[in-house]
Amino acid sequence: MQFTVSQDTLVRPLQLVCSIVERRATLPILSNVLLRVQGDQLSMTSTDMELEMIATLPVAVEEEGKTTVSARKLLDIVRALPGNATISVNANDGKAVVKAGKSRFSLATLSSDDFPDSEGANYIDEISLPQSALKSLLDETSFAMASQDVRYYLNGLLLERDDTTLRAVATDGHRLALGSLTTSTPVSEKNSVIVPRKAIIELGRLLNDSDDTVKMAFSNQQIKVELPDIHFTSKLIDGQFPNYERVLPLGGDKEVLADRDELKQALSRAAILSNDKHRSVRINLDTDQLKATVTNQEQESAEEEISVDYKGAPLEIAFNNAYLLDLLNAIPDNKVKLLFTDETSSALVTPADEKFERQYVVMPMRL
Amino acid sequence: MAKQRKIIHVDMDAFFASVEQRDHPEYKGKPLIVGGQPNSRGVVAACSYEARKYGIHSAMPCSRAYRLCSHALFVPPRFDAYREVSEQIRDIFWRYASEVEPLSLDEAYLDVTYTEAFNGSATLIAKAIKQDILDETNLTASAGVSYNKFLAKIASDMDKPNGLYVIRPEQGEAFVAELPVGKFHGVGPATETKMHNLGIHTGKDLREKSLTELTERFGKAGQYYYNIARAIDERPVRSQRIRKSLGKETTFAEDIHSIAELIAKLLDLGERVFESLDKQNLKARTVTVKVKYADFQQVTRAHSAEHIIKLTDLKKIIPLLLEKTEAGHKPVRLVGLSMSGFDLPVTEIIQPQLDLSLNDDF
Repeated sequence: MQFTVSQDTLVRPLQLVCSIVERRATLPILSNVLLRVQGDQLSMTSTDMELEMIATLPVAVEEEGKTTVSARKLLDIVRALPGNATISVNANDGKAVVKAGKSRFSLATLSSDDFPDSEGANYIDEISLPQSALKSLLDETSFAMASQDVRYYLNGLLLERDDTTLRAVATDGHRLALGSLTTSTPVSEKNSVIVPRKAIIELGRLLNDSDDTVKMAFSNQQIKVELPDIHFTSKLIDGQFPNYERVLPLGGDKEVLADRDELKQALSRAAILSNDKHRSVRINLDTDQLKATVTNQEQESAEEEISVDYKGAPLEIAFNNAYLLDLLNAIPDNKVKLLFTDETSSALVTPADEKFERQYVVMPMRL
Repeated sequence: MAKQRKIIHVDMDAFFASVEQRDHPEYKGKPLIVGGQPNSRGVVAACSYEARKYGIHSAMPCSRAYRLCSHALFVPPRFDAYREVSEQIRDIFWRYASEVEPLSLDEAYLDVTYTEAFNGSATLIAKAIKQDILDETNLTASAGVSYNKFLAKIASDMDKPNGLYVIRPEQGEAFVAELPVGKFHGVGPATETKMHNLGIHTGKDLREKSLTELTERFGKAGQYYYNIARAIDERPVRSQRIRKSLGKETTFAEDIHSIAELIAKLLDLGERVFESLDKQNLKARTVTVKVKYADFQQVTRAHSAEHIIKLTDLKKIIPLLLEKTEAGHKPVRLVGLSMSGFDLPVTEIIQPQLDLSLNDDF
């Protein structure tokens, strides 16, 4: 196997592929990246047995073939070479030789036959959508995923397809984020999958804000996402996601309309006095006025007051300030609507001028 | 009015002698005296019920006991063995009581006023304690249940051995009225004679005396006699220690070889331990697993976490702890699981963040 490629063509796809390689892999071969040269293409595959990423790029092929080398070492070498360098890789006799200019590296290889094969899957109802749309959907919801929760089904993002709606839901048990978008093709049957946290984070890195098309489809055990030069698959979490509809509060009668930036900035400033132990911000609502107070154990305090649109009864309620900031960051719109019931019930936060596309539910803290 | 208290007095039956008979089956059914040798100047520390038939009782000189029953077996005490059992029964007490006040190795007052097990029925709790003691130590105890220490202690003596006697709040006064003063805890033989001379034979007689009269005759103790004649005893059950651990164990009818089975048994115990933890609002950071092999050798393996350990965490921790034992290679007769490390600062225990109700439909 032998090919030649320029450093600046190779570095980004290699970086993406290497990002899913575990630092402490359970099998030595999982630390390696599979290099396969065929036709005029190089494909690079990495896997952690849950996720698999394949990047494809055109190279100058001298000899077809395949091998595996340490992902980390290859990436470090490529990254350390100058952008205009021409890199050649030649694998033979259990060694892979990487050359560029006057640099020469000889790397150990493991047989490509030992590299885990990806399982085939029956994908249905493939959809195409702009990368930017999928990226926003993930950005707007994934922050609420649980991490290492014993309720393993919360350590991921629920993706649900219903007719032409693609919905994403995440919850860590304290807050819930729901986002949705409309796709061009309807789904044959309503279905949903839970995509593991790591896969969602990797996908977030993979996608950009362009309108380039991304294709996505689910099978029973896997999700696949295809970009022009990247093929990404992940196993799914086998579990029952909570019924998110029951978590959405219905009866809130205290409606606040606020300027998102103003509220966000006030809370960010107040957060300066928060710490790991004291995360709560106390919100006091009165007619057309919202006051946010943070106090800490050193008896310091921060008070912020902003004008809002509010006609309800006075309310005092506390939240984890980070949760509020997370959701305000996820809402790009200028006006937000906050709906409260009482100081021990969840609050619903949505963009002011849309009804159901994005909804954030957050439980208060005890006062 | 303050909540009516529920107090249990537990007293092991012929404690030292029963332990000896348990560990030496050849002593069973025989008059047994634990203490000095017959020809020594030692006294009887304890004697079996079989020996009591001959009029032998504790604190009697051994020489006298020998005269009463020359074929009695005289064995020296093994205090380490008694202390071990004592610890076992105290652990059992802590499963059920919020306060435990030991009086000696084999006797304790328990306050179960706030215990929620068995719907708070002190009688059923006492029954469960007796059963746990029998299951785990192979010894019997007698329990008295009432609404104060004085009555609970009298009650435990009513139905010995292996007894359970309950004095209900509405029975207290009548019960005391009938009782010979010699049976009152705190009335020794000297006081008893003194009372008899004053015409006080029963609780009823005692009740008829005024407080002034009693304090004149008996000094400070007069107030106590005045109160107990009315079945009043406000002394609280005082724990001498703060609970450091909470655990349960189980002995198998047949030795277990399979790791999977042991894990299942330990998870069952874990559920029960967490029930008790929840009731007492305790959060633990350490899990200890005890394994006793068929050859009676025993090991414990512990795991301490940075954070509070949840019941669901046990699924991960228990197999890891068992891996560090010879379970699976050697047959196991007993496993135990205990939780400790309750010393987290209160601020960290309180979880101020409220939860979404995700589980309604599971």
